[in-house]
Amino acid sequence: MSLAEPAALPVATSAAPRLDVMKRFTTRFKASLPAYLLLLPSLIFLALFTYGAMGRVFVDALYQRTTPKAPVRFVGLDNISAVLADPAFTGAVVNNLIYAVGTAVPSIALALLFALALSRTNVVSSALRAALFLPVLIPMVAASALFMFVFLPNVGLLDYYIGRLLPVLPNWLGDGDIALYAIMVITVWKNAGYYMLFFLAGLQAVPEDVMEAAHLDGAGPYMRLRHIILPELKPTFLFVTVIAILNAVTQVDHVFVMTQGGPSNSTNLVLFYIYQQAVEHYDVGKASAATLLTLAALMSLTALSFRTMANREGGP
Amino acid sequence: MLFSRRLILGLAMAGTLAGALAFPALAGEGPTEIDLFFPVPVDGKLARDMGTMIKEFNETHPDVKATAVYTGSYDDTLIKTRAAIKAGKPPSAVIMSANFLLDMQIENELTNLDALIKADGTTKEQFLGQFFPALQGNAVINRSVYGVPFHNSTPLLYVNADKAKEAGLDPDKPPQTWAELTDWAKKLTRREGDKVTQWGLAIPCAYDYCGWMMETLTMSNGGRYYNEEFGGEVYYDTPSMLGALSWWNDLIAKHKVHPPGATPGPAVSTSFISGNAAMIMLSTGSLTYVRDNAKFAYKVAFIPRNVRNAVPIGGASLIIPAGLEADRQKAAWTLIKWMTSPEKSGWWSRATGYFAPNMAAYKTPDMVEFLNKNPDAKTAVEQLDVAKPWFATYKTVPVRKNLEDEVMLVLNGKKQPKEALAAAQKAADETLKPYNAETSLKLP
Repeated sequence: MSLAEPAALPVATSAAPRLDVMKRFTTRFKASLPAYLLLLPSLIFLALFTYGAMGRVFVDALYQRTTPKAPVRFVGLDNISAVLADPAFTGAVVNNLIYAVGTAVPSIALALLFALALSRTNVVSSALRAALFLPVLIPMVAASALFMFVFLPNVGLLDYYIGRLLPVLPNWLGDGDIALYAIMVITVWKNAGYYMLFFLAGLQAVPEDVMEAAHLDGAGPYMRLRHIILPELKPTFLFVTVIAILNAVTQVDHVFVMTQGGPSNSTNLVLFYIYQQAVEHYDVGKASAATLLTLAALMSLTALSFRTMANREGGP
Repeated sequence: MLFSRRLILGLAMAGTLAGALAFPALAGEGPTEIDLFFPVPVDGKLARDMGTMIKEFNETHPDVKATAVYTGSYDDTLIKTRAAIKAGKPPSAVIMSANFLLDMQIENELTNLDALIKADGTTKEQFLGQFFPALQGNAVINRSVYGVPFHNSTPLLYVNADKAKEAGLDPDKPPQTWAELTDWAKKLTRREGDKVTQWGLAIPCAYDYCGWMMETLTMSNGGRYYNEEFGGEVYYDTPSMLGALSWWNDLIAKHKVHPPGATPGPAVSTSFISGNAAMIMLSTGSLTYVRDNAKFAYKVAFIPRNVRNAVPIGGASLIIPAGLEADRQKAAWTLIKWMTSPEKSGWWSRATGYFAPNMAAYKTPDMVEFLNKNPDAKTAVEQLDVAKPWFATYKTVPVRKNLEDEVMLVLNGKKQPKEALAAAQKAADETLKPYNAETSLKLP
């Protein structure tokens, strides 16, 4: 709260009579002019590279050309309905939902488990924390290149060990039924350590005296977890869930490197679909429309979760 | 004042930065500066070889200053070139995947090279005559030259000679027909109970490679894949392609000599190197990799036929994007002619493993010596006699993907070849519709 205030503060001290709106506005503007000037460089770049690009997406989503040589013309919402009617898009949305749930739940569960196990600081747990955090430091592209060799059919690391147990060796990335899950394993491997950090921080906030009191009252480890630790971690859960879902939509490096959305679109995710429309199909209108749909979904999700978070914080 | 020195300093810095972004080094007198976009489709060493080549060009051509810009894979290079053209700053020359030229020409993104050839005092026929005939199809559109072949490839059959001998087969007489190849694959497959420990044959299938292999199999089965004369038609739902896909499917489902599912190129070459696959079909571009890594004797051979010997070419051509100033265009043309001359063409071929498109390259002493030392490099060149153009249509990549998605379903046992090809044809016709609406179906 206090961070946003200073720019407006001078207004309160030098406020003109309420009736003179115009004058009040100019005084306010004069008072905050330095602040705006200080913000100007960032605003210019934000406008150029963030809001400008977003505005452009809005405009591009409304235009389309019917044939290669025809000029682009205004088509209104046609692009959006074309995207919604495209089975590749709906397929990508379904894949993305499976992917989001299938990566968020296990990685959060693992992160919580790691955090609970390593919450006390000593030499061993520090070393283990570092080890679990290591995947976060590896760039996704490098990790994907690495995992391509792990998943290599017959000769890869995975088949080398699992191969002794299974009657038929799966083609991890080449079989449409398995490929999406193989991709999900990498995401969980990569993100669990990152989310662990948030839970570790959240655990520090669990009041020591309450825990002690519970201990004295004879609450066992499960009771303490169920009735004290988990409720205290609620805000962390909410925050990590939002991050995990955003990651599920915005991180597709491994799809790009490992499968290109294949085989037969079985690992195609929404962001990769947008890339395909823009680059392979050279269809900026459809790509922009898909981007708008994704943005709308993400923004409503974020707004919803932050409102829930605010409600929680406002409550008892 | 609140905004005193620090703010002004900040603003000044921002201003300078913006200025630097907006007005990059204004060209003055001196050599014409040109950019060459180049992809590295195989491995990292190519970037260094390209640096060497451009340095030599600049030393021998004082009036031109060329800069080589690395732009990633073939697909990335297309994206970056298109982005640069859209931004009004096209590169002067690009090494472009040979089958993207038609799509770019349809989108008005290429410079017609006829005028430049004419200005040199040569005819189109003389100019094209330097290159292997198989490569001309992807460089000429509507009887105008749009690209100059730079490095090219064909698919090959790689055979593990040691394993062949173990199985009682003669590696000096590699299989020539699909029947012989199927027989070899059966004899080269090793099983422990139901589990396969060594596959007889592996053919790659990932986006890009899969379409190329389908074209290979379809062509050796007598088919064409696409209309070479017109970018609005593909022949997916045809007997020749049905035969090709059914045979591939049989290798997996019926004979069980080919690993199931879609396997990307690097996985196929790795399984050949590790001895897990006794025979593979791969590009000549992988020859250097196999030569450097195989710890066993290997043979390369033509792709076996069912109806006829025929394969598509692969590789890249040099192009000049549309919308370039005359002096840059001229400088780029000088660079392109230099890079595709017999000496440079041969040098690049030896460095990379691709074959040299310029036929005269094979008469240079360095090349003759190289081929004597590495006779396997000769097979790719010999196969050029039966090579044909690489499929190129309106929206090549999506049209190819329409087929690949269905082929992958078949290789995974989810669909039968016949219905898969019908679905692929339908999807491709839909993708090609806008172009046909403007050409073949635009009636008076």
